[in-house]
Amino acid sequence: MPKQPKTRVQGEVARLIFFFSVIFLSAIALMSMPRIAAPLTFAYVLYLILSPLIPRLMKLGFGRNTSLGILFIGLMFSMTYPIVKLVPMITADSQNFRYYIPKMEKYVVEKYQDIKVEVEKRSGIQLKDSYATDAIYGARKAVTSFLLYLPQYLASTLEWIFLVPLFIFFLLKDGYRLKKMILGLTPNSIFERFYYLGHQFNKKLGDYIFAKFVEASIVGIIITTGLWALDIRFALLLGLISSITNIIPYVGPIIGAVPALIMVVAEYGVGASFGGVLTLYIVANAIDIALVFPILVSKIVDIHPIMVVISVILGSQYFGLIGMIISIPFAAAVKLVGAEIYRELYATRASRGA
Amino acid sequence: MESYEKGINTKVESGQALPEKLDISLLKYFWQASPIAGSRIDTIPKFLRKIDVLKNFSDNELRVLSQWLHLRVFSDSEIIFKQKDIGVGLYFIYSGQVDVKVENDDTAEENIVLTLDKNDYFGELALLQEGSIRNATAVSRDTTQLLGIFKPDVENLIESYPVVATKLLQSISVIVANRLFSVTQELKRAKHKLHQMEVDSAKTTKN
Repeated sequence: MPKQPKTRVQGEVARLIFFFSVIFLSAIALMSMPRIAAPLTFAYVLYLILSPLIPRLMKLGFGRNTSLGILFIGLMFSMTYPIVKLVPMITADSQNFRYYIPKMEKYVVEKYQDIKVEVEKRSGIQLKDSYATDAIYGARKAVTSFLLYLPQYLASTLEWIFLVPLFIFFLLKDGYRLKKMILGLTPNSIFERFYYLGHQFNKKLGDYIFAKFVEASIVGIIITTGLWALDIRFALLLGLISSITNIIPYVGPIIGAVPALIMVVAEYGVGASFGGVLTLYIVANAIDIALVFPILVSKIVDIHPIMVVISVILGSQYFGLIGMIISIPFAAAVKLVGAEIYRELYATRASRGA
Repeated sequence: MESYEKGINTKVESGQALPEKLDISLLKYFWQASPIAGSRIDTIPKFLRKIDVLKNFSDNELRVLSQWLHLRVFSDSEIIFKQKDIGVGLYFIYSGQVDVKVENDDTAEENIVLTLDKNDYFGELALLQEGSIRNATAVSRDTTQLLGIFKPDVENLIESYPVVATKLLQSISVIVANRLFSVTQELKRAKHKLHQMEVDSAKTTKN
């Protein structure tokens, strides 16, 4: 092993301490400013989705700045249009949906009483009423708070209309310079490893978010179109709920289907409409499981299902919806970094020793 | 000093070879005196022009390539990378010198096998191989400036500037092919020497 002068080693250690301190302090500063950090994180997620489009536009013969302009105008339109057009529709839908809650509650209580009588007749076991009342109380609280705050969430996005495109524009325009600046600060001893792992991390995160975004959009479009074709009320709201819940692995599609099924049973009873909606959700999720997921998502994330569930729970606990979305690629990235450290500590050292 | 035109005419008349590029002294003077010409943006492409394996690049392609290179400064005796480390980058020596050391498997001592100078390059295999292991240790001599290009840059370059990326990979292939040719020649010589020694030893045993 080549010996290096002591002062030079000390200099390198100082650079390493400085570098990691800058990263750590930047992370703390961001976390202490949630109003900036949340749209910035969202902008970064969108930046990861959009940045691969710039080289594609450049291949069509546009310059870098022109490509950036085209992308930015497209982004502004696609962000402003849904908010101007869809927010009032979704808000109206969610307001109306609140009036349906007592109707749905009444239906569930009636059905529970029927089941209770049936169970008592057949087995002699008496079911307590509190099972139903507790469940309804919990569900009512969750649904009311979701619907009550939905317009508020949407209204707070108005602030994001200005912030997110601004952040995205500068990330797309000056992201490369920022990257160069961070790499310029990186000490020589970890430069190659840091650069490569950082690149892999961003790639995994970007690919996963893009794939998940496409997957959720496909499911949302199928369900909204299907509900609209079946002439079911709140098609847009239910489609939006199904696409948001689709982000949660395994249980997400079921959670997404529950409000629609209860609403249909309460409104139209168990009949053709219920069958139609049930079939629609099964078909939409079958398309997702059989086609969309294997093609888009599964190749990107290769982590154990238990780790997927744990990472989603932890992500939602600490960072809410965004935590839920980024938890899986984050877990995949942690696995990547862990594997790299393991290789550095054990595999490479073993080959050195050999 | 005779005029440029006169000089060219003299060369044409006497049948001498003409210069490949225009060489107008006054124009050249003003061009070089330009404040933009002295900036780093301009000096890196100029430096790259001197590298033999990049000769198939046009000036604009070199300018594009220069934007993807990372300037790294290493102090005297600083390790650039270690033998058996996983590598992801190719380096061009912008200034200074680099010692290439190989560890002896038996004694674990490192011997300098090569000293690379300005305009030389090393680490090209790391750009092509997956999980490439460095074959030698590279240590800087004096303060050394290196221009590095790494796997992520090549991946991005392929997406953004496919022609430049193709030319770069072609250049790296040329480097690797040349190295492979030298190794094959070396192996041939060693084989021949071994055969000769076997023949000699057989003769000695007979006698």
